[in-house]
Amino acid sequence: MANVLEAEGLIKSFGDLVAVNDVSFHIEEGETFGLLGPNGAGKTTSISMVAGLLEPDRGAIQVSGTPIRTNSTAGKTDVGLVPQELAIYPDLTGAENLRFFGRLYGMPADKLASRVDQVLELIGLAERRDDRTKEYSGGMKRRLNIGIGLLHEPRLLILDEPTVGVDPQSRNSILESVEHLSDRGMAVLYTTHYMEEAERLCDRVAIIDEGVIKAEGTRRDLVSLVGEKDRISVTASGDLAQISQLAAGLPGVFGASPSDGSVEVLAADASTLLPDLMNCFSSSGASITGVQIFEPNLEAVFLHLTGKALRD
Amino acid sequence: MGATGQIATKDLRLRLRDRSAIIIGIVAPLALAYIFHLVFGNVLAQESLALQYGLVDLDDSEISESLGAILEQIEAEGQLAVTDFADAAAADAAVEAGDISAYMLLRPGLGEAAVSADEFTIEVVGDVDNPTATQILGSIASEFGAGIGRAQLSVTTALALLGGQPPPDVVTWGEEAAQSPAAFTFDDVSADTRQLDSTTFFAAGMAVFFLFFTVQFGVIGLLEEEQEGTLPRLLAAPVARAQVVGGKALLSFLLGLISMGVLIVATHFLMGATWGPPLGVALLVVAGVLAATSVVGLVAGFAKTAEGAGNLASIIAVILGMLGGTFFPVGQGDDFLSKLSYLTPHAWFMRGLAQISGGAEWTAALPAVGALLLFALVLGSAGWVLLNRRLAR
Repeated sequence: MANVLEAEGLIKSFGDLVAVNDVSFHIEEGETFGLLGPNGAGKTTSISMVAGLLEPDRGAIQVSGTPIRTNSTAGKTDVGLVPQELAIYPDLTGAENLRFFGRLYGMPADKLASRVDQVLELIGLAERRDDRTKEYSGGMKRRLNIGIGLLHEPRLLILDEPTVGVDPQSRNSILESVEHLSDRGMAVLYTTHYMEEAERLCDRVAIIDEGVIKAEGTRRDLVSLVGEKDRISVTASGDLAQISQLAAGLPGVFGASPSDGSVEVLAADASTLLPDLMNCFSSSGASITGVQIFEPNLEAVFLHLTGKALRD
Repeated sequence: MGATGQIATKDLRLRLRDRSAIIIGIVAPLALAYIFHLVFGNVLAQESLALQYGLVDLDDSEISESLGAILEQIEAEGQLAVTDFADAAAADAAVEAGDISAYMLLRPGLGEAAVSADEFTIEVVGDVDNPTATQILGSIASEFGAGIGRAQLSVTTALALLGGQPPPDVVTWGEEAAQSPAAFTFDDVSADTRQLDSTTFFAAGMAVFFLFFTVQFGVIGLLEEEQEGTLPRLLAAPVARAQVVGGKALLSFLLGLISMGVLIVATHFLMGATWGPPLGVALLVVAGVLAATSVVGLVAGFAKTAEGAGNLASIIAVILGMLGGTFFPVGQGDDFLSKLSYLTPHAWFMRGLAQISGGAEWTAALPAVGALLLFALVLGSAGWVLLNRRLAR
């Protein structure tokens, strides 16, 4: 896959404060890349530079091979930005907001009209298209905020904490929308301080704190960095002690032990182990009544890497 | 339409929707102009000088009749009205009653003294409450007297040359000298002392005063975008910073033009304001709107918030408006205030309009247009740089 975004050695200071220090990352076509970190970690500064809103003190950014600079419009058509703050006009209707920004991106009138319809449908605002956005609920405004960013079908969509202050129902709707974007081949740069959002949406995650990327990779890569393992809990009847011994001998298993009507197994990768583990239970004549998989999460990784919780 | 036009169109739609620009740009100045016209109109109106004069001709000579003829000629031009009185007592009564502002008293022997080169007196009696009208009649009398003096000098010179024999048409010479065209004319006066009629004065004053509030909706909107969070999205789009600033400035310009255009038409048809030749007025309006946009743009460049910019721009608009003579004329003398008023675009606009509203050619507005464009260039350039720098931060 070709890289849509390449950010190399970004440094940005505000006075004595180094907000971003030698940050590098890339995003491929169809990939969702997460910047996970607490407030003030440097996420917004990083994406402001990627979006061409801030000029890095050092480093370079290219989108689809075109350098992004604050004083140039080159390459910006390939970028869609969804700012953390709502960036919509309350006295314009939803459709008017979309049309205005679509025109700024130079979309031809006929394409713009059909694209506005598509986006309104996608974000679930087709029936409220002609209402002024000041009459929208908070969740509807958030969805429109996202819709404007993806209206012109950018190759790179930047979402800066799009679910902050959103109710659970709208949040889920937003996350579902983002999930569909990568399916369409769009590269997505997603910043959040919600671990569960990064885990759900992102193919790769960079953990950023105090302006520095502490680690980067898939969730599994990150978890393996700190030695965290999957835990599988199988509830079953039968000789659970014997089954535990058998399970402990399976490849990729670090340990297995019976525990109050279940067998607890520690493994490197639960999903690959699960078929062999099920065979082990059935060959022992055990009757399985439930299986639960506890994967190590990014919260633990963040804690391990930075010594503090994500929401600190 | 480019990004500049798109931004201006979007903002224009927003401003028309919230009606604030309509209220500030049209309703308020129109209402105030009308109220001021009703309340203060007679104070400033030229017609309130009430040039109603009287003439008491007790001399009944050819010279005195020629003075009466001159007054009748000016009366025919519509500049004043003259009533004949049989004696001074009747004329005094008319002054007391307020029917006339002043009268000329031509005592017996005036004509004889004039042709014999003796001293003579033309008395002017006026209402103490209307010194201006009395002074005007006094000036007419003085000028007539000066004409007689010139004739006397000519006659004396001729007598000396002819060996003391008076020529047969000496009286005719005197009359001709007194009635020479240079003696009494109502010419155009200089720009500094010309004044708009009260209706046009208040219409133009309120229009240009509120213009400095109306244009705020454009340029200061840039700071509002910053506060409301939409500015990053504009700057992330393939739009140059100058286009964003330009869009806001264009909206200021459009709102200013619309406001001034509507007010000119409305005050002309509703109040009878006489703005002058359309081309001259159009040039003044365009230059005035550019100057107003530049002033507000400079303020926006310095301000930290939209509210701060609005407050500061409003204070400046009031100060410049007062100093520039939008509420009362300040350009009538050579005093400090009059000179200071040249530092305001308002004063130049009002003076330019005064030049052309009285019937002069549109070109008479060009000096004021030039001054306004200079304001626009100097202040606008500074504002442009500051606002673009602001977006670069």
